[in-house]
Amino acid sequence: MKSVTEQNFVVLLQEHQNIVHKICRIYTNDSDAHKDLFQEITIQLWKAFPKFRGDSKFSTWMYRVGLNTAITLYRKSLRHVQSQRIESMEYKLSYEEYDDTKDEQLKLIYGAVRKLNDIDKGIVFLYLENKNYKEISETLGISEVNARVRMNRIKTKLKTQLNS
Amino acid sequence: MDELELLKKDWDKSSTNYPNLNNEQLYKLINKKSSSIVKWIFIISLLEFSAWTLISFLFDGAESLEKMKSYNVEHIFYPLTIFGYLVLFVFFYLFYKNYKSISATDNTKMLMEQILKTRKTVKHYVIYNLLFVYISIVLAVYIELTNNPETQSMLTSIESEGANNIYILYLTIIGFILLAMAVVTVILLGIYFLIYGLLLKRLKSNYKDLKALEKAI
Repeated sequence: MKSVTEQNFVVLLQEHQNIVHKICRIYTNDSDAHKDLFQEITIQLWKAFPKFRGDSKFSTWMYRVGLNTAITLYRKSLRHVQSQRIESMEYKLSYEEYDDTKDEQLKLIYGAVRKLNDIDKGIVFLYLENKNYKEISETLGISEVNARVRMNRIKTKLKTQLNS
Repeated sequence: MDELELLKKDWDKSSTNYPNLNNEQLYKLINKKSSSIVKWIFIISLLEFSAWTLISFLFDGAESLEKMKSYNVEHIFYPLTIFGYLVLFVFFYLFYKNYKSISATDNTKMLMEQILKTRKTVKHYVIYNLLFVYISIVLAVYIELTNNPETQSMLTSIESEGANNIYILYLTIIGFILLAMAVVTVILLGIYFLIYGLLLKRLKSNYKDLKALEKAI
């Protein structure tokens, strides 16, 4: 029985894996960390899959579990806890902003976003993913008002950081 | 232009640049748990080894060594001890090797083989430990019978009372040995089931999942 569940899960994950990659892109600084986080989120999604009831879209559920994993892990990494790396998992990762060839201003913006705290990063990410405040608040488990207030602060923060 | 708007433009533009892992790669990601289970088997075997060594030192290590010296049976006692430790080290090495090769395995079939191999190693380890304890019990009783002056005099006195008595005594001793073996077996298997059995069970379920994957692809 389990293998059927697993097959369903992998098919869905394969289809929506972009979401996980995008979360990794916001929360990590280099491709190694990206792969670590990708693995961690995948495993957490798989663990949480039995609780996925299908009352929301799979992608919506992925946003929630993925972001929560990234946020928890981000807190962990502040305590210097590292997840175990899969060395055999080789795939190519080449984001321009991970190297130095990118347009200078964009690089600065990405850098400034990565300096935000874990929740704010999630807000920026969901904003970039075209989510409205209602969806943002539901995904992150904060109130809609809080999401709006935070978004305004983020905009100010980014401005001051980039202009200093 | 707003910084976030600039970012969004780039974000949308690069949304097709992400790597696309195929089903098999994703399967492997969620089945990589095997590697950490095998790592635990290795760590637990080390802990177990330290625990046994500590126990033997804390309790009757020195005392039984003195007793063995007085019996003049060091020629049995020392080789047996050294042999025991050597074999344990071989098992650590095997556990370590299993862990290393499982974490480096890329291909599903190899991973399955490694899981089977690990399960086998653990089984051999448990069987070896049981055999070692059995041999130790038999040897200890044998040494006690042939070298302890008190038992010797007791044996001669019983023998002088009648030939039947001595057979009964030996039967009792054999019964005692079997009982001791049974008790040790139950205790050891119980402990091993608790520590290794549960880990092996999880390995097995990973193995099943991998096998299903083999079929599916």
